[in-house]
Amino acid sequence: MQNVLPQQAGLTVGSVIYRYTAVKNIEDDMLVHVQNEDALGNGYIFRETDDWSGLEGNNIYKIVPVGAIPLERWGNGSVEVEGTGTVLDPSIIYTYQYDPCFDPQTDPSCPGYVIPYDPNLIPVVEFNDPLQDELVLAEMEKKAKLEEEEEYERKMRIKKVKVDLEKMLGGLNRGAMDGQAAAQEAALFAMNYIPVSYTGSLNGGVYKDMPMIPDSQIPNNKNAKRLNYAQQQKHEEMMQYQYDK
Amino acid sequence: MKKLLFLIPALAVTTAAQANYPINGFIESKCVIQSDTAGMFGNPTVDELSTKSADGGVMPIIRYDIITASKYKAVITTPTNFSASPSLSDSVDWTSTTVAGQMSDAAMSIFNTDKVIYNNGHTTEFDLVKAGSVWFNVTSEAKYGVGKAFPSGSYTALIVAECIAK
Repeated sequence: MQNVLPQQAGLTVGSVIYRYTAVKNIEDDMLVHVQNEDALGNGYIFRETDDWSGLEGNNIYKIVPVGAIPLERWGNGSVEVEGTGTVLDPSIIYTYQYDPCFDPQTDPSCPGYVIPYDPNLIPVVEFNDPLQDELVLAEMEKKAKLEEEEEYERKMRIKKVKVDLEKMLGGLNRGAMDGQAAAQEAALFAMNYIPVSYTGSLNGGVYKDMPMIPDSQIPNNKNAKRLNYAQQQKHEEMMQYQYDK
Repeated sequence: MKKLLFLIPALAVTTAAQANYPINGFIESKCVIQSDTAGMFGNPTVDELSTKSADGGVMPIIRYDIITASKYKAVITTPTNFSASPSLSDSVDWTSTTVAGQMSDAAMSIFNTDKVIYNNGHTTEFDLVKAGSVWFNVTSEAKYGVGKAFPSGSYTALIVAECIAK
């Protein structure tokens, strides 16, 4: 019956409808069995017998309610003739229905549905705002303080570098420096921090302009234009930062 | 006091109310007739109308649902005239058959064995001794005059199917 009934869990057959034509002589005995074997046991799960003995053959159309027999029990079906006669054009129809809640676990809306886990085993976790936790707040405050200190140190370093640079540049004017400053200058020069061009002298003379544009035509530089716009846009973007804070 | 005692029952008698209370009942038939297939005349020859499929017609089928056995008989009368037709100037010869052509129980085959035909073969009576459903096939043929052609137009004939309590 696997090729007759849909293999669906929860399917039950409610009735069997069959028809055939019995061809026989009136005086002959003839029994026609319309039957299905019991797939889970011996014998038949359905067996209907028509006794045509002593009767004229005819067409039969019969509806046999069988209750609600589960799909699993329907075995092979057959039409068996016992006696003398022939069965022509047999047709057997099984009416069935499907219970979508046969397995209640298939749908939570089915009666008898059981939650597949024990909700009591799941610990109830209260929600705590981490931003209100004392330890977190203390850590955040500590971090903010560190950042503040680092920012202060960074500013101080920049300031010191600035001062050192001024001092180095100030060394160019030797006449204005006192002895201590001169010593510091000498120390700095010894460290090669000051480029040679600061102290070296250029050879005298006149450097004439070289004609770089023979045709006196300066074409528009599109790349420069694009770069100009990009710089302008970046500038405006940076300017906007102060308002975004 | 005695008088008074006598008077009270007398008054009671003269003032007694009276009303009629009907008892209603309804009997639902245990034999139901359904038209399973509507018939149609075919016209194999100019002078003949027939419900046989070989003649191009459709055989009418009437279903009887017998709820209680042996309490009813089916009486089916085939047509002997047209209920609607063009004007006919000659006689029509009617022949018909009625048989139980399908049944829900093999035992109903006895309906055909024990059927009674009368009214010149136009009425068939079946004793419904078995419960279930039975389908009666009716054939009807009408031949017009002697070699005359039926006038063109629509023809209608009626089958009368009855379920009569025995």
